[in-house]
Amino acid sequence: MILPSLALALFIIAYPFADIVNLSLHDVSRFGLLRAFTGLGNFRRILADPSFLVALRNTFMWTAAVVGGTVLVSIPVALVLNTDFHGRGIARGLIMLPWAVSLALATIVWLWAFNGNYGMINALLQRAGLIAHPIQWTAQAITAFPVEIGVGILVSIPFTSTILLGGLSAMPLDIYEAARIDGASPWQQFRSLTLPLLRPFVNIAVVLNVIHVFNSFPIIWIMTEGGPDNSTHILVTYLYELAFRLGRPGEAAAVSLIMLAIVFTFTALYLRMQARETA
Amino acid sequence: MRRDWKRSLLCWAALSPVLVLTLFPFAIMLSTALKPTAEVLIYPPRWLPIHWSLHSFVAMWQAVHFGVGLENSLTIGALSTLLVIAVSVPAGYALCRFPFAGRASYRQFLLTTQMLSPVLLVLGLFRLAASIHIDGTTLVDTRLAVIVAYAGFNLAFAIWMLASYFSAVPTELEEAAWIDGCGRLRAIIHIFLPLALPAIAVTAIVTFVACWNEFVVALTLLRSPSKQTVTLQVVNLVAGRYTVEWNQVMAATLAATVPVAALFIWLQRYLVRGLALGGVK
Repeated sequence: MILPSLALALFIIAYPFADIVNLSLHDVSRFGLLRAFTGLGNFRRILADPSFLVALRNTFMWTAAVVGGTVLVSIPVALVLNTDFHGRGIARGLIMLPWAVSLALATIVWLWAFNGNYGMINALLQRAGLIAHPIQWTAQAITAFPVEIGVGILVSIPFTSTILLGGLSAMPLDIYEAARIDGASPWQQFRSLTLPLLRPFVNIAVVLNVIHVFNSFPIIWIMTEGGPDNSTHILVTYLYELAFRLGRPGEAAAVSLIMLAIVFTFTALYLRMQARETA
Repeated sequence: MRRDWKRSLLCWAALSPVLVLTLFPFAIMLSTALKPTAEVLIYPPRWLPIHWSLHSFVAMWQAVHFGVGLENSLTIGALSTLLVIAVSVPAGYALCRFPFAGRASYRQFLLTTQMLSPVLLVLGLFRLAASIHIDGTTLVDTRLAVIVAYAGFNLAFAIWMLASYFSAVPTELEEAAWIDGCGRLRAIIHIFLPLALPAIAVTAIVTFVACWNEFVVALTLLRSPSKQTVTLQVVNLVAGRYTVEWNQVMAATLAATVPVAALFIWLQRYLVRGLALGGVK
């Protein structure tokens, strides 16, 4: 019964994976023809490439900032959505809404909102007296990257708060009753009951988000394509540019494998951490 | 917990910053889509149009090949979902009912494929599609390639979600049917499947939405406008253009988003439960 699923997964995942390993070890023409076996030549070349190093640094900043920001915002959101209040169903629906919008389309809307000349963000900031002149947000790295991080956080909130909400709604109510009888303040209840009970769900949310954000492509590709001057590339966008724009498939394959190694290391670390906790 | 107005007000106030940011893109979409072209590029920009106009919805239908894109997105989404469900229902059932040899490693395998994002393998996928020849052409720039690729990448999540729902369906009912002389397959079809149907429906919708919203694989594999999905058609109107008809782009974005958004709001409570169950078990 599991055979069809195994066959499909192997076909779509294992074959491309093997092909990428093979590519990474060869000198590859821009049309994908394998030439000489070069061993680790592609890896050596990519590690000496300054754009790769910038992309690597950006990737860590991007992942840490987006995941950190998302979790920090999502915990209070989930806590509020878990309390009983008028219109809670509507509030939940509204918070979940961006989840339904494709990342690519959401990015286009934000790109337009941050448009330097006619965008609504500049207009609002100017009307509030916060800036004197319109800012060309996406034309310079110093503003483009933070804008992309902000959009990244915003689109990750629905998924994250849904997971946390699921955790909160599964919590037993009687322990809160007991705590209240013992005279615990709401803050004490939060610190010593809610947070520890929520921990596993926060962990899950962090791990899933790290994997997802680390591989997130559309926001940066659509907003800046890694520019200006390769300054906003993260590894995925650089990988795509190497493979399909610059015609360096061998090196792109090497970047793929480096990224896979990072994802696997992270997951292994997490699994070990979890095993130690349950032991 | 009791509901009172003071608490409700406080809760809404606490949520308001996030809500504003969440709804902001929708406000931008509406505001721009309802303007005539002449009013889009005025400075300073204003929220409400001076002359309300639905023209951009008509104009984008042609400019974006919206009808074609819609058809492609629907075809690709529906067929991938069908393929995923056909393959993952038996797998999910086996995973939660039979203690077969290698079950642990199968789980491990699923978890691993779940972590592999399509972007990382997109180069290999492209070469895979290019290496398969049918009728003298390759699978590059065909919907079939995208359908199979989507199915492959959504499989692990679907099996995982189905298995966690399936294990909540009590085994006793099926066992009772066997005792009454009902065959294994008949028990599955008449007893198990009706009970599992809501779970299958939820999984199918989640898969469909994931396919509908996918970007990288479609960007790489689909080249000609007659085969591209809605998302790609809209992105093409913006990427690398000097003049962008923002009112048409926003109209198209809105039209591509609203059906999926409605589906999601309706699904929301099932999702909360499903993710909580699947995530921690």
